[in-house]
Amino acid sequence: MRILLAEDDPLLGDGLRAGLRQQGFLVDWVRDGQAAEREIACGNHQAAVLDLGLPLKDGLDVLQSLRRQKINLPVLVLTARDAVPDRIKGLDLGADDYVVKPVDLFELGARLRSLVRRAHGHTQDLLTCGALQINLAARSVTLSGQAVTLSMREFDLLHVLMLNAQRVMSREQLEQQLYSWGYEVESNAVEVHIHHLRKKLQADLIQTVRGVGYTLVAAKDPLCGPVA
Amino acid sequence: MKLFTRLRSLQARLLALLLVMISVVWVSAAALTWVDTRDELDELLDAHLAQSAALLVAQQEVGEHRDDGARSRGRRIDEEEDDHPGAPTLHKYATRVAFQVFHEDQLTLHSSNAPEAPMSTKARGFATVRFPDGQAWRVFGAQGQAGDVQVFVGERIKSRQSILWAVLQGVLQPLLWALPVLAVLGWLAVRQGLKPLRSLSQALSRRQPQALEPLTMTDTPTDIAPVVQSLNALFERMGGVLDAERRFTADAAHELRTPIAAIRAQAQVALGAGDDDTQRAQALRQTLEGCDRATHLVTQLLTLSRLEAAGGQAVAGVVNLTAITQRMAAQLAPLALGRRQTLELDAPQPALITADDTLTGVLVRNLLDNALRYSPDGARVSLSVSVAKGQVVLQVDDSGPGLPEAERARLGERFFRSLGTTQSGSGLGWSIVRRIAQVYQAQVHTGVSALGGLSVTVIWPVAPDQRAAQI
Repeated sequence: MRILLAEDDPLLGDGLRAGLRQQGFLVDWVRDGQAAEREIACGNHQAAVLDLGLPLKDGLDVLQSLRRQKINLPVLVLTARDAVPDRIKGLDLGADDYVVKPVDLFELGARLRSLVRRAHGHTQDLLTCGALQINLAARSVTLSGQAVTLSMREFDLLHVLMLNAQRVMSREQLEQQLYSWGYEVESNAVEVHIHHLRKKLQADLIQTVRGVGYTLVAAKDPLCGPVA
Repeated sequence: MKLFTRLRSLQARLLALLLVMISVVWVSAAALTWVDTRDELDELLDAHLAQSAALLVAQQEVGEHRDDGARSRGRRIDEEEDDHPGAPTLHKYATRVAFQVFHEDQLTLHSSNAPEAPMSTKARGFATVRFPDGQAWRVFGAQGQAGDVQVFVGERIKSRQSILWAVLQGVLQPLLWALPVLAVLGWLAVRQGLKPLRSLSQALSRRQPQALEPLTMTDTPTDIAPVVQSLNALFERMGGVLDAERRFTADAAHELRTPIAAIRAQAQVALGAGDDDTQRAQALRQTLEGCDRATHLVTQLLTLSRLEAAGGQAVAGVVNLTAITQRMAAQLAPLALGRRQTLELDAPQPALITADDTLTGVLVRNLLDNALRYSPDGARVSLSVSVAKGQVVLQVDDSGPGLPEAERARLGERFFRSLGTTQSGSGLGWSIVRRIAQVYQAQVHTGVSALGGLSVTVIWPVAPDQRAAQI
């Protein structure tokens, strides 16, 4: 899950990035409001953590202008401003969650997962597609009740495909979701991970649409999606 | 007057003053009346005496032709039958009035209380004499035309005095019962007059300590209006101070949240690092840095709050800015050396200013710390202290990135931090610098340095007595 972190404090930004990475998030870190707005508008992230006291453009202004542009990315506001009117203002301006510093990293991770889940219309941290089930919090995968061990990237790729079941995802889209900044992405990285997934799971689970991309076999299994 | 100041209540003081004044006026009036009455009375009674004497003389001269025999008998009128038509009829004042009639030095007629000897040595006119029984008498002597009739008419002085006393009593007595009445009425009047003062004190005592809205009083007398106005002005100033305090506390608490959040995040990263020793070590180092930063922030906050608490009344003596700058440069030099920065100090002569040694040190330290902190590794920072035209000038230049004008204007706003800085400042250094400068009437200017970065100039007036510090 690739998220954008907008925080101007070097020490806190570094800690949040490291802590979220430990939980399997892909984190891109920007230090000012304008960069945050630009990156969110690119649409490569599944959620954003937004500090309010950002230089160049205040977090609330960023939020307001994003919502005005009809960008519905889940945004978690992380701030030192704890007064109730501040919270109300933040939420009313379009924040999906409002967290006051300091925050527990695991709680932050759980809130981010929850935001992303709800953005996709799901209610639980458990996604299922036929015999395949993945647990986002535990980052575990089972196929017909049998645990399957996946690498971090393989899990993220499967997660993206499951979230976007019934849709074809292009290789570029998948790449954007899989890699945060600073990673050298091999041109065939996505193909390699798809290949590994097919080997570890069912071969026909992920189908290739020539010239377009990949999709999870949804048509064959109407139950594909979150556990009811 | 001391007595009045001893009275604690304004009401009691006013009342006492009022009563004393009334008594003084009244008694003075009584004294005047007494003197006046005495003179008038003397004049009137003396005239009576003279008239009586004249009457007696006239009677004797008429009587001589009618009854010569009675003269030699020396009769006393009141012990015999009133067969003498010339003798005056005497009433209850008889003992207070006396007369003697002499014919050729023979006492022919006298009142019972008159002595045998002539009452006065003065044959004509008034005299005050003392009788053998110790009583003082006013005596008038008169003689007939031939000189053979000598008449003395006397009146006891005591009787005059008792009349005077009666008059005096008539004036003074009303005061005795009027005073208590006046006291009660005066008390009520003073009480009524001081009512606005009482309601003001009640309004004040009812106030909550936090209540700082202005006092509103209807029909404020002009005597109290300035007090109410001053109080309202005071409330307003206090409100401003409290607001600033509240805002500062809130800001400070918010600013502390971020370093604490950072410490917490880094500590949690260290815990979650598993077998990644490099990550754990890095996170722990960052945790420590977070602690240092929080400490720095707290120190700066305390400095600022002490400055605020001292208000404008910080102690001042004559201090040598050159020495202080040297000391601070020496303290911070290791920081500069650690980042391969060049630190230069140009302070050729003592520069005396009126300020506090410690606070001036804090100011210099903050400026130098900023210059070093926000300039890149290997940068140049130069300090200079100079004295010219009655001014002491401290200039701090750096070859760092400098600041655009818009951001320079915002320096000194609490917790304002320039953009894009990776250095962890508290955002309070400039607030502190500006506050200290304000306390000691120094001006702070910022500009573009010849070295390429930020240039800060602080200008103090030279200490009035340059010699004072050199002794």
